[in-house]
Amino acid sequence: MIRISNGDPIGRVVATEALPAGPHQFHFWTAVNTSLGIGAIVRVSDEYDRTVYAVVLDGRAYSDLATPLHDVVASEGDPAGRPAPTRRTEIRLWTAAVLRHVPEEPVQPVPLAAVHLATREDVEVALRIDGYVGVEQPTGLPIGLYTAGGTTAPISLDADFLLGPASAHLNISGISGLATKTSAVEFFLSCIYQTFPAHKGSIAAICFNVKGPDLCFLDQPAELSDADREMYRQLGIEPRPFDRVRYYAPFKADGVNLNTLRSHPDLVETVQPLMWGLREVLDYHEVLLNRDDIDAKSDAFIDFLADRVVEKEFRDEWGNTHRVQTFADLERFFRAILDGLEQGRGDMWRTHHVATMRKVRNRLLNISIRCKGLVTDDGTVSDLPFGKFEDRALYVMDVAGMDQLAQDLAFTRVVSKLREHLERRDLGVDHVVVFVDELNKYAPADGPDTYVRRMLLDISERGRYLGLVLFSAQQFRSQVHRRVVGNASTTIYGRMDMDELATPGYQVLSPATKIKLATLPKGELMIRHPHFTQPVFVRFPRPPVLTGPEGVQRFPPAADVPFEDAVVRQLTALDRSLAPGRVKEIIGGRQEHDVRRALLATRRARPEDVLGYFRATLGSSMVREHVEIVSHSTTPLKQVEDPYAP
Amino acid sequence: MTTLQELRTTHHLLRDAVLRSGGTVAESAVHTHVPQPVRNPFASAVAVEHDPIRSIELGEPTRPPAAVAFLDGIQRYGAVGWIGLTPIVRGYVAAAVLTRRKGDALACSALAEEEFIVVPIQRLPDRARHELEALSLTLYDSPDSEVPHPVLDVQLAAQVVERRREVVESRAVTQYLAKAPGGWLVVDGSIGAYKSQTDHAHLLGLIKTHDTQYLTGSDLHTALMLPPGSRTSVFARTAGEERAAVTWYLRLWPWEGHDVLHGLIRLERPPSDDAIAEATEVSRWILSERAPLAGRDGRWDRLIYPIHQVEEYLRARVGEWR
Repeated sequence: MIRISNGDPIGRVVATEALPAGPHQFHFWTAVNTSLGIGAIVRVSDEYDRTVYAVVLDGRAYSDLATPLHDVVASEGDPAGRPAPTRRTEIRLWTAAVLRHVPEEPVQPVPLAAVHLATREDVEVALRIDGYVGVEQPTGLPIGLYTAGGTTAPISLDADFLLGPASAHLNISGISGLATKTSAVEFFLSCIYQTFPAHKGSIAAICFNVKGPDLCFLDQPAELSDADREMYRQLGIEPRPFDRVRYYAPFKADGVNLNTLRSHPDLVETVQPLMWGLREVLDYHEVLLNRDDIDAKSDAFIDFLADRVVEKEFRDEWGNTHRVQTFADLERFFRAILDGLEQGRGDMWRTHHVATMRKVRNRLLNISIRCKGLVTDDGTVSDLPFGKFEDRALYVMDVAGMDQLAQDLAFTRVVSKLREHLERRDLGVDHVVVFVDELNKYAPADGPDTYVRRMLLDISERGRYLGLVLFSAQQFRSQVHRRVVGNASTTIYGRMDMDELATPGYQVLSPATKIKLATLPKGELMIRHPHFTQPVFVRFPRPPVLTGPEGVQRFPPAADVPFEDAVVRQLTALDRSLAPGRVKEIIGGRQEHDVRRALLATRRARPEDVLGYFRATLGSSMVREHVEIVSHSTTPLKQVEDPYAP
Repeated sequence: MTTLQELRTTHHLLRDAVLRSGGTVAESAVHTHVPQPVRNPFASAVAVEHDPIRSIELGEPTRPPAAVAFLDGIQRYGAVGWIGLTPIVRGYVAAAVLTRRKGDALACSALAEEEFIVVPIQRLPDRARHELEALSLTLYDSPDSEVPHPVLDVQLAAQVVERRREVVESRAVTQYLAKAPGGWLVVDGSIGAYKSQTDHAHLLGLIKTHDTQYLTGSDLHTALMLPPGSRTSVFARTAGEERAAVTWYLRLWPWEGHDVLHGLIRLERPPSDDAIAEATEVSRWILSERAPLAGRDGRWDRLIYPIHQVEEYLRARVGEWR
């Protein structure tokens, strides 16, 4: 390897009529044995104080061999023949794309001058980082280290362009398991939380854990190598886990065991149940009811329910007064109306046909079954703290165990609520990053136009004005809606699949860059950012938190237990001194939904006297009174008389 | 009228006749012009190793000595103007010595070059002479033809250019020998031009052209029919060059199917007992210089790659020379 001391040129720009140097691209040669590689940044300076910064896109090597046949002749047809005493003259010819001209005007072809490896300072200037780092109101957010040609330089993104308002959103692509997409986002969030400038306000993030235990241990420190720690040091970032992580997960169908892999007794107390009732669901019925289900008539009837019935006192034509707050109330409401119609022999009720009403009833009531665990029949609600979001807090919604429909509902509702609050400026923070993995599932390039996709399009196109920023990831960018990824100002690529690289979206990349992308090691990424006129390769350390597999190994998930034991487990997690027998004694003979409600209230309140609070919330006579709604104008329901009725 | 088909048939008939006569078929270049007559077609020589001259099979090529350098020179000239009928010739000559460094790549160890003007000074008007002398270029006088002749005058100037090339080559050799006195120096062409350095024991001339024949009769037959990987006995040329040298032929590549001179070179060394004793050893490592092949040069069968590289180096330095 040729040793290059600071200031020594490593190559010279060459230009021929067939291969000229232009204002945007040029060619230069180096010694055969050079530390230069694809992605390295170089500087060309001439004697007229003109400096051009460029990134190496491609490299070629060839010798003065006129035809391969000459090599055969010289070796007398024997590839294993003795080596030639003289090595042929070879060339390493590199193609570089211009990053920046100094001065910027007039834009001229690159001077045919000496080429130098970029220093740390050169890298900052080349990528225009000097415009937002080291200025009066800096907006730089470290994202990784440029390491090429013996130079190491921290690379920062511009917060104004990553988190708004100038532009926003980040999208990361790459092969699962090799592209380190999740690790990268965890590291970026760590950097953002530590370096987000005070003058830009406050920030929080919501991460949707959509598969396995990926994001379940963000509050647990990872063991880092010395090399990783050195990278953190060079970036000026402290390698520490997130200190304000709030976990949310729905219950399983049993209503007491949390549907998360973060269920180890040492951690489960930090997971808040996610439970929504009728109102929370009805507002987003479009997510749950597909196009085949819903027509204009059904839509109108649902709107009628939402506007006139739910959470309002509603008096029907048969003299019943309804106050629908839960799915159970809704079921009673439907039964009363349909029974009333049957008595009256009519097909229409308030302009709605009975068939439409039956259809809507089936679909809506089915939701509480399909999304059981997330959606409750009894109206119990446990939600994210909209309006009280904390600065630098990380909210993880573990939706990995939910079916696709429930995931869609969770995603849509949370993002919609975030948008509403951000529009009103009462969320609690100024910026929210929403991290969604498997974006191709939510915003596919083809397939039906879903509510979720429309919402993602809306965020990607208008979110930056609100401070609502989408960090998304997927294996194949080509399979995601073009406008969603196209609106991401910062695009990151990890190890890529060659088939994916052959798709039209990657035509702008040189063949060598594609090869590099297809062979990128873990921990190295290619970044495109509005300030960088060409993609830049950076390295990043492993995130300061436990990965999903590590976390599961260290904190094995607890097995599901029967109802009583689950209640005991959750209460003892809040107060380890509690005697399980005492808890079981208190909940013995009580209705499960009453126990769940009391448990939820206790978890939310986290009182000092856990058992006392729980008992008080449960009450001394929590036996449910079964009240039949009897209409004076209708006969009792037939089903009630049927001893085999459910 | 003879058709193309008939011409081809004639070609085949002739080849068959050659083979039937015990000859060897060849495929030389097709010429369209009659070349200039050879200036010195014959020169005298005496056998110093064997008499008559023999063909000696060399066996496997061997790796060259560690310290080997290669010398070549180039020249460029052209009339840049005319004062009356007198051509003003601008000339450039350069010579370089390249050596193999670590990794077997060639690098320049010595370089000499010169740019100058050649003109028949006597024929110049005073004013023109003063103008040319005021330039920072050396002014060389060229032989004055009795009667102005635009072609002959330039040819006479070219002879001066050639002599200047020999001078800078000699200068480059001196430079190199000052740095590496014990190493081998392979020069392109006869060693006769290096008058002051011919005492250098490890000087080796590599001659690619065979306009002058030193052997006759069966000796010549032996030399020109050499099989590949063979050399002739060493002989001493006694005339035709300014200084005597010991010399021998070496066949680098088979000539069958080409020309009788294909792949044939002649090596020269300053006369000494060692030069005769080392002829086989030197020939073996010159054989190894067949690789890499200097395939881009039309003379690749006789031009070893390092010498080709010296030329390339000098050509690259001078560029278009405008």
